[in-house]
Amino acid sequence: MPDPTPETTDSETTGTVSTGTVTDASPIVAEPIRPGVPKVDPILIADGVVRHFGGNVAVDVAHVEVPRGKITALIGPNGAGKTTFFNLLTGFDKPNSGAWTFQGHSLAGVPPHKVARRGMVRTFQLTKSLGLLSVLENMRLGATKQLGERFIPSLMPFLWSAQEKAITEKAMELLARFKLDAKADDYAASLSGGQRKLLEMARALMSDPTLVMLDEPMAGVNPALTQSLLGHILNLKREGMTVLFVEHDMHMVQTIADWVIVMAEGKVVAEGYPREVMGDPAVIDAYLGAHHDTDLGTLTGQLAVAEEVGVSGDLIEQIEGEIEAEPNLAAEPANESAVELEEEEAPGGASVDEPEEGEK
Amino acid sequence: MLDWTFLPLTLNQIISPQTIAYALAALGLTVHFGYSGLLNFGQAGFMSVGAYFFAITATRFGFPLWASVLAALVGSTAFAFLLGIPTLRLRADYLSIVTIAAAEIIRYTVQTPNLTALTGGSDGINGSEAGFEAINPIPDRVYKIGVQPYTNDDLWVIIVGWVLVGAAALFVWQLMRSPWGRIVKGIREDEDAVRALGKNVYSFKMQALIIGGVLGTLGAIINILPTSLQPDNYGTQTTFFLWTIMLLGGATTVLGPIIGAIIFWVVLSLSDGFIAVLSTANIVPLSQVQQGPVRFIIVGVALMLLVVFRPQGIFGKKKEAYFSA
Amino acid sequence: MHATRQRPFPRAAALLAAAFAAALALALTPAAAHAATTPIDPSTAKESILVRTLDNSSPPAKPLPNIPVEISGDGYDVTTATDAKGQIEVGVPEPGDYTVTIDTSKVPSGLALPPALKASRTVTVDTGNKQVLANYIFVSASAAQQSSRPSSGATSGPSSSSTSESPSSSSSGSKFSRQIWPSIVTGLVFGLLLALASIGVSLIYGTTGLNNFAHGELVTFGGLMAYTFTRLVPLPGPVAILIALVLGGVMGYVQDLAIWRPLRRKRVALIPLMIVSIGLSLALRYLFQIIYGPGSLVMPQDSSAALSIGPVHLTGANLWAAIICIVALLLVAFLLTRTNIGKATRAVSDNRALAAASGIDVERVIRIVWTAGGALAGLGGALLAYYQTVQWNSGSLILLAIFAAVTLGGLGTTYGALVGSLVIGLFINVSAIWLPANLKFVAALIVMIVILLVRPQGILGKRDRIG
Ligand SMILES: Nc1ncnc2c1ncn2[C@@H]1O[C@H](COP(=O)(O)OP(=O)(O)OP(=O)(O)O)[C@@H](O)[C@H]1O
Ligand SMILES: [Mg+2]
Repeated sequence: MPDPTPETTDSETTGTVSTGTVTDASPIVAEPIRPGVPKVDPILIADGVVRHFGGNVAVDVAHVEVPRGKITALIGPNGAGKTTFFNLLTGFDKPNSGAWTFQGHSLAGVPPHKVARRGMVRTFQLTKSLGLLSVLENMRLGATKQLGERFIPSLMPFLWSAQEKAITEKAMELLARFKLDAKADDYAASLSGGQRKLLEMARALMSDPTLVMLDEPMAGVNPALTQSLLGHILNLKREGMTVLFVEHDMHMVQTIADWVIVMAEGKVVAEGYPREVMGDPAVIDAYLGAHHDTDLGTLTGQLAVAEEVGVSGDLIEQIEGEIEAEPNLAAEPANESAVELEEEEAPGGASVDEPEEGEK
Repeated sequence: MLDWTFLPLTLNQIISPQTIAYALAALGLTVHFGYSGLLNFGQAGFMSVGAYFFAITATRFGFPLWASVLAALVGSTAFAFLLGIPTLRLRADYLSIVTIAAAEIIRYTVQTPNLTALTGGSDGINGSEAGFEAINPIPDRVYKIGVQPYTNDDLWVIIVGWVLVGAAALFVWQLMRSPWGRIVKGIREDEDAVRALGKNVYSFKMQALIIGGVLGTLGAIINILPTSLQPDNYGTQTTFFLWTIMLLGGATTVLGPIIGAIIFWVVLSLSDGFIAVLSTANIVPLSQVQQGPVRFIIVGVALMLLVVFRPQGIFGKKKEAYFSA
Repeated sequence: MHATRQRPFPRAAALLAAAFAAALALALTPAAAHAATTPIDPSTAKESILVRTLDNSSPPAKPLPNIPVEISGDGYDVTTATDAKGQIEVGVPEPGDYTVTIDTSKVPSGLALPPALKASRTVTVDTGNKQVLANYIFVSASAAQQSSRPSSGATSGPSSSSTSESPSSSSSGSKFSRQIWPSIVTGLVFGLLLALASIGVSLIYGTTGLNNFAHGELVTFGGLMAYTFTRLVPLPGPVAILIALVLGGVMGYVQDLAIWRPLRRKRVALIPLMIVSIGLSLALRYLFQIIYGPGSLVMPQDSSAALSIGPVHLTGANLWAAIICIVALLLVAFLLTRTNIGKATRAVSDNRALAAASGIDVERVIRIVWTAGGALAGLGGALLAYYQTVQWNSGSLILLAIFAAVTLGGLGTTYGALVGSLVIGLFINVSAIWLPANLKFVAALIVMIVILLVRPQGILGKRDRIG
């Protein structure tokens, strides 16, 4: 990858050989695993981060650390507070209390643009592509330290045209990676939903971040591209970046995550290596206890993954039990609303009168 | 019979100082709204602040021309800060409310009896053009363009005005094709996305507010040079005229506001003329007093129709209209 | 939005505001100091103005001596006072327009100018005109007040400019309380009137997201209808007010039907809608001017003071206005909290998508909100016409105050609009004790800016959803 900036080229060539292997091999924790366990080499440490919305506690994270140079997945049922936690960490929202540091420097109260400049760049769950800018302009916007962004120099194109050219090359490079290069001159508004997700991710990478935070990067991206994207994310790690991503697709989590943090009702309820975390009762509780508002399709998908990777029989039994408890689920696993409809129509079912009981 | 003498005169609107002034101010509004998405409903306020700083320093304190212009620019910059600091972090509607309110307040304030010595009260200020006319190189005689006679001072304003319009258009054009312009356009689309990319959105919005305001101020100076400074020329209707002009020509183009201003003033003086002719001939039942408001009704209706049916302006392409109607 | 990140900026803004205030103060002082041009002897001058101050509270009129008078214009500025005969002739340097201002604070208590007579006015002196008249005929304060504008008393100049002794040299404390209480009461009445309009703006904003810049025209419409049905078609006041209310509602309904609903159907975004509303405001405003002319229209007046408590005199009209406002506002509160349609309205304001999903007919709610908003504005306009006068642009003149009130209370919160209106009404009236009439809205804007700095969501508003 002929990168315009020399540092990146260096890190890529060396990265594949040395850093990549080293980080992969290095241990993440040196202590017994528990929620909030200290990491050997944390890049991001959050303490007592709490955010209420009225009476509703959206985030209440006592302590969590994100390991440097690893891919960490943040999972949890809908409404667990993952997006809110992202918003808090990146300065888009203010916590009621709490502190967090990035590379040893406190980030509490730092405005979002400064968070990004320190190398912590995020994407949004609801994509924010800039519709009336071309795809290429969207990409160029991601580059940092542009001289032409300052008012006076912006009027003198000769000052920044070389930099602009380098940025454009880099942008085209990334676009090609994300299979968007053919669309470079189109308005971003003309992209499909999945393509916008890709564009947003590619744009975030324009700034060569230290930590990339992706909020459901794969939602709406087709399976073939998902595969190649997984490769890209692994590449990011190889280039020395840390990745923190939110994802509901357990397959993706299983495939690329080095570490998994599980949130439920605002709290970190479990952490661990992907394989082990699946067997954690807290995780099963978090997901299965609240399965009525998770994507049931994912749940059954999870079974396949669990079998494939050989997770403890307990979990498989649990999941199977869940599926059997709802006969319609097995028949039509992907159609959540259909399931709910059936549930309501079930004659004399206790679940109709007392839904709570039926769920537990 | 019917008196059509106004017809050739309307063509002179094409180059009139008023057209120049509105072209500049609308260009400023384009920087605000068209490019940066700032809902400024108080461009008249920026114009009047600049005009007063210019006229007061020129007539009351005897500043030389350059210093008066500088004072006007400083004045409108300060005004931009005053309005921008509380509102640019908030939803777009707040800026619209605060700007429309502030523009009206400027208009009331300058007419306060206690300030009359400084602002001339509701009579406004005369004579601020002395410094400008002193450097007029055009020989003193009457020039004729079309059927309209011009003095050398009239021509001087028109020439300087159009040079200024050209320069301002080039300036905005260059600004908007630079990375700076990319950022403000990004802010217009989604400011959180731009923030997430490490750009200080607040600072860019403030810069855009200042730049657009300064263009409004330059327009106001051109406006008062050939006539005088009248506070009531900068009421809400002026701002709404500017919006109509901007939307007429296309809010995201550089030439749009300039062509829009020309069309606007030609059409407006045509319609004024027609209505006057028709009502003198008793074809339209409007008294002398009732003719004045008609143009405002036309503008109001035009504004509504434009924004709904042709948000991209007369020349723009539909998909470039940034609020899809 | 982001409290911590914002911190340095309010300080900067406060500094700026302070600088602005200082600049204003500076600007004001030279004006006062300027009042030192030597007077021209009227007997030698070619042109002169004759100012007369008379007390007509119990006819026949008696002279009011020692009232400070300032005459200014075209670089000429003199301050003098009326003599024992309640008049003074002032020579002027040349023909032209002159501003004549009398210091009403030196007028004995209990006297005031009727609204048609301004304490500060422009007098045109033609070549060779001598003794151009500027009459100030005072009536009893209660008679003047019932129709006084919210700015009445605002024109009382700074006492520093006075050179003569006040005949009623009372202590400043009692004078202050003599001014403050009436201001507070009229301020509250004005606030209540404002609330009728603000609540409509707030409801429309809440349910549709539209900031209706044409709401002032609904208010004007109400006022003009009240005028039409008392003056042009002579009907009793209460009937006219009722008609204004009903027609206001019809106007709101028709507006929604003809303009806003089609645009919603067309899925026009909010910003273009806002621009449509400014176009509509412009068109309607000048349509009113064509029909009703550019002057201000006076409603039939009732000069009796219905209620006097200490220095406060409330006329029957104002008292009734206040009572009607309170009843209307209570009714709105009742409808919003107790009836199905009210609850539906609140649900739509809270979350439109959710409300639609839970079976609420959002379109119907919006239609009702437009109708109710129009009716309230119509009522407000009619009462306002009695409170002051009415003219083609009365509504757009108070639009600023309406927006300040709505922003202050929190965009889209109904009770916020009420609270905001009362605060703004009070502020405009009370600040008028110190500020010249033209600056009364400055106070409102400053309040608004300060609120935006410290509490952007308004007094009762919620914070925005983020992310
Ligand atoms: N701005 C807000 N105002 C009120 N409540 C909010 C707000 N943002 C989030 N919440 C609430 O906080 C909780 C956590 O929401 P969040 O979006 O963080 O969940 P999430 O884990 O990202 O879910 P998902 O997987 O569906 O994206 C939810 O109950 C949500 O309703
Ligand atoms: Mg989320």
